[in-house]
Amino acid sequence: MMPGHIVRFAVAIVAFAILARLPVGLDQAFQFDAALALIWGFGILSLVLLTGYAGQVSLCQATFAGVAAYGAGMTVSSMHGGYLLGIVIGVVFATILGVIVGLPALRLHGITLAIVTLGIALVFDRYVFQDHIFDWFTGGTGGWQVTSADLLGIKVDSSQHLLAAYDVLLALFCLVSVLMVNLHQSGAGRRLRAIRDSEVAASTMGVNLTRYKLLAFAMSAGIAGLGGSFYPLIAGSVSPQPFWVFTSLQLAAIGVLMGVRYVPAAALGGLFMAVVPDVLTRYGHGTFMNRFNYDISFDWFQIAVGVLLILQLILLPDGVWGDMRAKLLHARGAAQRKPAREAPA
Amino acid sequence: MSTFLAYTIIGLSLGGIFALAALGIVLIYRVTGVLNFAHGAMGMFSTFVAWQIFYGWPHPGLAPWAVTAEAITVGLLFAMVLGLVLEFAVITIGVLLTLQSTASLIWKNNQYHLPIYIAPQDWTRQVAGVPIGANYVVIVAVALGLAFGLAAFLRYTAFGRAMRAVSDNPTSASLWGVRVDTVGAVSWMLGSLIAAVAGILITPFINFDTTSLTLLIVDSLAAALIGGLVSLPLTVLGGFMLGLLETYPTIWIQSLGFPRLIALLVILAVLIVRSPRGLPGVAK
Repeated sequence: MMPGHIVRFAVAIVAFAILARLPVGLDQAFQFDAALALIWGFGILSLVLLTGYAGQVSLCQATFAGVAAYGAGMTVSSMHGGYLLGIVIGVVFATILGVIVGLPALRLHGITLAIVTLGIALVFDRYVFQDHIFDWFTGGTGGWQVTSADLLGIKVDSSQHLLAAYDVLLALFCLVSVLMVNLHQSGAGRRLRAIRDSEVAASTMGVNLTRYKLLAFAMSAGIAGLGGSFYPLIAGSVSPQPFWVFTSLQLAAIGVLMGVRYVPAAALGGLFMAVVPDVLTRYGHGTFMNRFNYDISFDWFQIAVGVLLILQLILLPDGVWGDMRAKLLHARGAAQRKPAREAPA
Repeated sequence: MSTFLAYTIIGLSLGGIFALAALGIVLIYRVTGVLNFAHGAMGMFSTFVAWQIFYGWPHPGLAPWAVTAEAITVGLLFAMVLGLVLEFAVITIGVLLTLQSTASLIWKNNQYHLPIYIAPQDWTRQVAGVPIGANYVVIVAVALGLAFGLAAFLRYTAFGRAMRAVSDNPTSASLWGVRVDTVGAVSWMLGSLIAAVAGILITPFINFDTTSLTLLIVDSLAAALIGGLVSLPLTVLGGFMLGLLETYPTIWIQSLGFPRLIALLVILAVLIVRSPRGLPGVAK
């Protein structure tokens, strides 16, 4: 094992130990936010792989998460499987959808891929998640209810053991993050980056475009699905609303905002996406934000995302995390009279 | 037979809306090279401004002027913001999110069903036993008229020539003395105005809310792709085709979401049949 690997695993374990303690004293709503932050963190992590590493555009990452959530809910509620099986089925469903989305992507890039994935997000939002033909998958208008669940003998469910679910999610998130950084340094990661820089050049150098593009889509959908399959567990039920087309757009926007090439930006983005709406709801009542007398969290949050994205694209082109990191590395490099290292991770 | 004819008329008017929305997208894409994902949101915002003045304020006669001013302002702001950045497609998503939620804050998430009528409501004609209202005729006429008007404008006027020059090659256009920034800003304002017209014309046909009008972008993009993102006549034809394709299945399939699937299939079919390099400007 290379020393780099050991350092990364040590960092992940320390991060897990600290983050696992964070929401312990908080009320249940904030504990829910903490778990939700990880689910959206997985969503942005999947975008780091797909967009940041492989350079493929996607506006349907929330759809992958939603398919996995419904798959898990269906397995547990309708087929009475254990929750572990539910997670496996959810991730498998999301990965299959990822490959299907990846197939047209073999011939498309950039803008056209954005149009196709936006269309897919809309079809799942308005048709698959809502039409009666798919009731076997979505559980009808009520959705699936998951009241209590076991994961490898540990009690994890939304009402009593929310923190247990959070810990499992956090451990998985730390693990996948380390794997993502390792992937970036590996041969497969270099091939994905070659595709991002130039598809023609990559295939000239012998990179199998079909294989690596499909692999990127499958892995990305699987990662988004891994987070999504925990949704029924922490929320207690599944509905189309959290996975609708605007969530996909928000994921893409927040990914770019935080820095779509960097793994830690995913954690930052997930936290932003889960906590900010809740904080707005809690402390926004009775202020100017409440003047319109309407559920303020969603709209003000989305305005914030849109405006921050525009400002970021003007002021911090590499994203919040990317530019912060560049400044830190620059400062350190100046102190050591050594140029900053190139490789981002 | 009369059922079929009735659905054809509905499909054609729906297609007219798609065609109108797609015209604005194609115009902006051709001149500035930006694919505007916020086009539906821009049309939605203008539609709600029109609705507000028409029903909420004492001077409904002011509505056309106010909407024109609003749409031009939004287009101009957009052009100014785009002058500052490099990531064009991403920034249109930022604008989409901002416009949608701003409208949703002001006008709530309700469904609106008080339409803004432009055509006289007492005019109808019977064609083979099917009554055709003025709303339908107006949509088709406006879509066709705007398409040919725009095409003629691009072909025969000095400013239209400047727009085509910028769309071919901005650098050489600027060397010949064309003000590239001005031309880009004007196409943004024109596109924004066309989106407003499309949004207002659709109000008699659907219960509209802030999200459904914003998400019309997918159908409009499908129509624009049929025109290869360049051809105005093919775009209008594509809009009418898509409208018919989305309407006929509703004879048998009562589903609100099914037309979205058809739009997606049309997008996939166009993109896979035409090589991506066949779409000018997309392959870069």
